[in-house]
Amino acid sequence: MNKFFVLWFALTFMVPTGRTADKARGKSLEQSIVLLDIKRKNYDYFQPWTTPMQNLQKFGVVVNDKEILTTAEGLADRTLLRLQKEGRGKWYMGEVFWIDYHANLALVRPADDSFWKGMRSVELAHPIDPAAPMQVLRWRAGKLETRRAEFNQFTVEDAKLSYAQYLQMEVNSEITGAGWGEALIADGKVVGLVNSQNGDSCKAIPSSFIHEILEARKKGSYRGLGFFDFVWQQAENPSTLRYLNLEGEQRGVIVIEVPKERLAEDTVKPRDIILEIDGFDIDTTGDYRDPDYGHLLLENLATRKKWAGDEVRMKVWRNGKLMNIKYRIPKADYASRLVPDAAYDAPPEYFLMGGLVFQPLSNAYLRSWGPDWRRRAPFRLYYYNNLPQTKERPSLVVLSQVLPDAFNLGYQEYRFLAVDKANGVKVSKLDDLRQALEKPVDGFHILELMEGDSLRRMVLDAGELEKATQRVLSRYGIEKDHVVASK
Amino acid sequence: MMHRDHFQKMAKKLCSIFFLIAWVCAMPAAEPETSVIQIITSGQQPVWDAPWRFEAVQQGSGTGFLIKGKKIITNAHVVSWARQILVKRYQDPRLYLAKVQFIGHDCDLAILEVDDGSFYDGLEPLTVGKLPHVRSTVVTYGYPAGGEQISYTRGVVSRIEMKAYVHSGNRSFLSVQTDAAINPGNSGGPVIQDGLVVGVAFQGAVGLENTGFFIPPPVIEHFLKDVEDGTYKGFPQAGIRLVPLQNPAYRRKLKLPDNGVGARIDSLLPIPTSREVLKEEDVLLRVGDFEVGSDASVLYEGNRVSAAVAFHTVQHGQSIPVEVWRQGQKLKVSLPLFVYDKDRAMGNQHDVLPRYFVYGGLVFTPLSLDYMRSTGRNWSETGAGDLTYELFYRRYESPETARTEPVVLAATLANPVNANFSTQRRALVDKVNGVRIDKLEDLIAAFDSAKDVGQHLIEFLPNDSIEAIDRVEADRANAEILKTYNIVRDRRL
Repeated sequence: MNKFFVLWFALTFMVPTGRTADKARGKSLEQSIVLLDIKRKNYDYFQPWTTPMQNLQKFGVVVNDKEILTTAEGLADRTLLRLQKEGRGKWYMGEVFWIDYHANLALVRPADDSFWKGMRSVELAHPIDPAAPMQVLRWRAGKLETRRAEFNQFTVEDAKLSYAQYLQMEVNSEITGAGWGEALIADGKVVGLVNSQNGDSCKAIPSSFIHEILEARKKGSYRGLGFFDFVWQQAENPSTLRYLNLEGEQRGVIVIEVPKERLAEDTVKPRDIILEIDGFDIDTTGDYRDPDYGHLLLENLATRKKWAGDEVRMKVWRNGKLMNIKYRIPKADYASRLVPDAAYDAPPEYFLMGGLVFQPLSNAYLRSWGPDWRRRAPFRLYYYNNLPQTKERPSLVVLSQVLPDAFNLGYQEYRFLAVDKANGVKVSKLDDLRQALEKPVDGFHILELMEGDSLRRMVLDAGELEKATQRVLSRYGIEKDHVVASK
Repeated sequence: MMHRDHFQKMAKKLCSIFFLIAWVCAMPAAEPETSVIQIITSGQQPVWDAPWRFEAVQQGSGTGFLIKGKKIITNAHVVSWARQILVKRYQDPRLYLAKVQFIGHDCDLAILEVDDGSFYDGLEPLTVGKLPHVRSTVVTYGYPAGGEQISYTRGVVSRIEMKAYVHSGNRSFLSVQTDAAINPGNSGGPVIQDGLVVGVAFQGAVGLENTGFFIPPPVIEHFLKDVEDGTYKGFPQAGIRLVPLQNPAYRRKLKLPDNGVGARIDSLLPIPTSREVLKEEDVLLRVGDFEVGSDASVLYEGNRVSAAVAFHTVQHGQSIPVEVWRQGQKLKVSLPLFVYDKDRAMGNQHDVLPRYFVYGGLVFTPLSLDYMRSTGRNWSETGAGDLTYELFYRRYESPETARTEPVVLAATLANPVNANFSTQRRALVDKVNGVRIDKLEDLIAAFDSAKDVGQHLIEFLPNDSIEAIDRVEADRANAEILKTYNIVRDRRL
């Protein structure tokens, strides 16, 4: 009887208390989730002289002391940023005071301090307890939408806006259209920022990763994300390990490709077997056992509490011997590839010459062919992605289109052709082209295009060029004949 | 007969995708239908990524017609890969066995013969006429799929130009477009005008209405002339990329008058005989009897068509007089022309079974368009990019690094000896035991000659990934693998 009474008492007492706590927590989170409204230039790389605008809304969460944490996506090339608290009412002008596109993170603050009245910050969980119940939070039609999220797994993959790889947390949720900085909350703390969604699976940047970056930033020791610049293959084939004379049990991964223009100093070599990184054993699938998050891909060790320029210690098996290597992590840099990944906060470059339009070959340009750009973009341009950057050819310029004019008669159908030389000078950047055109050859401009499945050579009248360019600008309503980044 | 799939890259370059067809038509006076033959085939194509196997036997049908010399002309695609060819005469219930006497896969023409001499009794051969004029009326004859009775359609000659022939996938010849109704399934039928054959119906265009194409007399005559010595060689190629020379500045630079004559040689294929005579930046003024226009065309019997047609007026091994403009001077040269077959793997291959070698369950075969297509509909998308580059671009862009016959690991036949391979298929083989693989024979020799290694090492491109296979275990497993997967021979060379 007594037992029954105690149990009954406990239940009746606990239920309302729990509800109150949730309510209170939800209420307090209303004071932490911020709606961001962004107007930005959404450049059209097929018409790089135009500036179509885009309006988008996303979310941030108040962290630390008067900082709004959000993802970097959608903040590039902005012309206006406004903030709204409590999902309704007054809009405050906002500014981005720190952004890292590789990490896909940004910190934002209001211009007016009165914004902070009634707002409170939320702690970033570190480490994360994946077993805790999670919710995804965002403002929707003036109300805080709270959706249950179920932890699925930790993965290591390409960042949303970079080839640098870091930890991601995969959760399942019934929320739709997420991926815009929605806060993932557990036990009243931020455990992640959602940065993509596919079906009911959401990927979030985990709070522990964010925490490390923000702490380092505060201390001034954050140097950006790094990455491993070598390519490795799994070592699940014991015959291959035998061929490489590995002693002991089957383990490690095999390095197969190291960039010719190597970025890391004391780097690995092809046919090295990487056995250990920073004290973590590497298994034959390329995973190590993370003390916080279980089995993870070794790439995480380039971003786990490490920044560009930091050192990792590696044990490798090379030529039948165990070697210790200090590998300095190179910095993830959009420009360090033949076809650069992206260009943020800069208008697309172009150079218009007598109706011929030249643009740098970039992933941003290739993505203009739409979501399945890998299939739709011209194969030969797309394939440059697979080729290495070299000192001689650090980047590429493409004749992207010809705006027809009497000057370029006969060339009007040519487009999507990579440029090799102009007037005998090798062209890797638009500035190379601009300079080369200052020195015509016997009154002509001679353009040589890369070997491919189309035209190799074009000749244009140097004397007529200036007039033709002005004519084209006027006829096609283009303001400037070039937007070229200085060296 | 619908053409199956074809080289997507080529298709992109064409404004439309073609399909092979055959058709039949209404007819005029002298009853040519008595010389029109119905063809029934049973064909079997190889499986390109399991090259010892064959696809299921497929029934096909087409049309042919008799010309002098007891030759039945039809399309090459009607009889390609045929295991059996049956022919039927007009209004005759009997089936006769026929065989291929000559086949030209480049121009999609074939000659069949029937052993049973009684087949020819009472048949009047048709005569091949001249290239018809545009706007003139033609009638097609044939046996559309599923029909037992001959069918006729009438149309006009809409236009005449160079077109890609989809049977090979990478060759273009003169082709006549007509608006006569096209019915899949009757390729090879004659197109008649004034009682003479003015074409062989062969392909249609998906997405275009009232559009069919036939092979005109100049191509048919070239084929017939070619086989006169008992073998078919094919159409020769100059191996030049001729581009328009219409820009006034370019013409001034080359000191050429702006008179609409002359097109520029932008680049040359690695054909030594052409490279000896022609150079990049030469301006082609005249080929044979044809003046070359600045848009890289010639006036061919009243039709402006690609200048490539001029090179098709001679046979393999013959020379053609060519006039070029080089460094401000007119030169007359004689250009020897030959069949170019180095790009065979880049087109559809027919009648020659794929080469392969199986070792330790690893299936190696030459890289080809047919192989690429066997990897799935979207073969040209990511992942296959490196193979695409290797097959279609490297030979031209970087001939010094190109291989005679790039070899791929096409598939891995599961067995404990290869069970842990990370690379299982669609990988280009760079080296085996340190030896660069230029062709399939190199690969076999590289395995065979390494008698004392513990493991064979296979290196792949482009990422230099490696896989080793234990030699003794692989040697031991070979017989069992061949037996398990019903492979009679470990190689076809």
